[in-house]
Amino acid sequence: MTSPEETAVTVEAGPPVVAAAEPTVAVRHVTRTFGEVTALSDVSLDVAPGSFVSLIGPSGCGKSTLLRVIADLLEPSSGEVVVAGKTPHRARTDRDYGMVFQKATLFDWRTVRRNVELPLELMGWDRTRRRARADEMLALVELTDFAKHRPAQLSGGMQQRVAIARALAFSPKLLLMDEPFGALDEITRERLNLELLDIWTKTRTTVVFVTHSIPEAVFLSTDVVVMSPRPGRVLRRIPVDLPRPRDTGTRELDRYFELVTEVRETLRGAGLL
Amino acid sequence: MSRRGRTAINLVAILAGLAVLWEAYRAFALATGNMWPGTDVALPVAVRGSGNAQQFPHVWEPVLALGRPYRGGGETLGAFLLGQVGYTLREVLAGFVLGSLLGFLLGTLFAHSRLAERSLMPYVIASQTVPFIAFAPILVVGFNSLESFPRWSGVAALSMYLVFFPMTVNTLRGLRSAPATAEELMRSYAASWWTRLWKLRVPAAVPYLFVGMKIGATAAVVGAIVGELSAPSSQGLGAAIFSFGRVSNNSVQLFATTLVAGLVGIASFSTVALLERAVLRAYAGAGPAR
Repeated sequence: MTSPEETAVTVEAGPPVVAAAEPTVAVRHVTRTFGEVTALSDVSLDVAPGSFVSLIGPSGCGKSTLLRVIADLLEPSSGEVVVAGKTPHRARTDRDYGMVFQKATLFDWRTVRRNVELPLELMGWDRTRRRARADEMLALVELTDFAKHRPAQLSGGMQQRVAIARALAFSPKLLLMDEPFGALDEITRERLNLELLDIWTKTRTTVVFVTHSIPEAVFLSTDVVVMSPRPGRVLRRIPVDLPRPRDTGTRELDRYFELVTEVRETLRGAGLL
Repeated sequence: MSRRGRTAINLVAILAGLAVLWEAYRAFALATGNMWPGTDVALPVAVRGSGNAQQFPHVWEPVLALGRPYRGGGETLGAFLLGQVGYTLREVLAGFVLGSLLGFLLGTLFAHSRLAERSLMPYVIASQTVPFIAFAPILVVGFNSLESFPRWSGVAALSMYLVFFPMTVNTLRGLRSAPATAEELMRSYAASWWTRLWKLRVPAAVPYLFVGMKIGATAAVVGAIVGELSAPSSQGLGAAIFSFGRVSNNSVQLFATTLVAGLVGIASFSTVALLERAVLRAYAGAGPAR
């Protein structure tokens, strides 16, 4: 099961991939400065359709900045970004991506269901369709019984699941996640990792995932991109050839430990550990 | 005991304490002939003899006076004052509503444009540094000379002038209170400025709007009464205070009127506070059990 010959076949598994498709996200020689500080320096990165790419590195390595450049929430100082074959601005106005932040960022004054409906409301969906879609998404994240609750009545993990449901409600091609489980306890985090993989498999969405947890990055991803700080650069891209579907047993595979070690060695080699 | 019960007992205790202090001072002054004992230094407030104790009545006298005719015969003081309250409340309501709206609009404008905030905010602040009593007569008399406005509109304008400032400041703070990620979320949806305002910033500002309105609710009453006092007006609580204080020099009736004015202020504040509680509760959502 764990031999490289076998796992090599399953590298690209998960959501089926259209052969030789254009990358969903293409970052070319992007540099971003804030005044004197260079947050990103000549970063290039391709994200293939259907893949799950994690950006990992210590704080200050520009991984969140890179995510925001892809999301058109920040402009690159130089370089080029293509999202879904368009400029990031066009991709944003076309609602090609959904976003999840470290804080769930739910609106307290709306019920859980109406929070999930928010993007659909902005896109002009009618009430009946919105509601049906929100209920469908809440079923996906297993929160059907909480549709009428207020966000404040939910635990942190449940709030984050609502945020994921909201981000995927309009079936975007791309899901951008900025340390979505960073504020959760380890047990909740591992459970949400499993749920996220399940959702990813079902929805076939391309994911760019920012994290500072090495085990999380290895467990979830098709590729782990290791970054270094000041200025933020890509140190190495490590393909994760663990078999799918991944489950709790995956964390006990020898290959899993090898890959975790490989990421760690890369960080140590750069003097970051 | 419930918290509400304790609050009520505290209130009664404080009022009783103040009444005892009041009566003790009165008795003391009567006994010493309004002098500090053994000196020829006068006490701060003179109390006339028991035959004519109007200047410093017993605590209960103003309350009782409300039930008695206030001059010669006919209408009781309470009924008379109730009519004045009605007149004053109209000015309060107009000043409060218009002031709150103006404050909300200015706050929204400033939240929209840093340039507008930087260029206009200094004037908004300056407008509040002028002692409003100084130009109250100008405003009230000025409005009264405009024939198309009713006589009470000048007083309402002064009331509005006191209301709009706290409303502007709190609206601005409230509209900026949404967390940065919520703003980013709305931008990720390519939401327009209007959409961000109505779907995110205004709902996020609601608790702040109520802070502004609670300050405004008491300020509106102060503005109306001072406005009536400072201009030749024949109606309203301010006019009654002027008449009892300066014209007939009847301290029992003056205290009674002041008491009623205080109650109007409390009622004005409480109305907004109750509304706030209802709205914020609906906000947090009673919803299914936790």
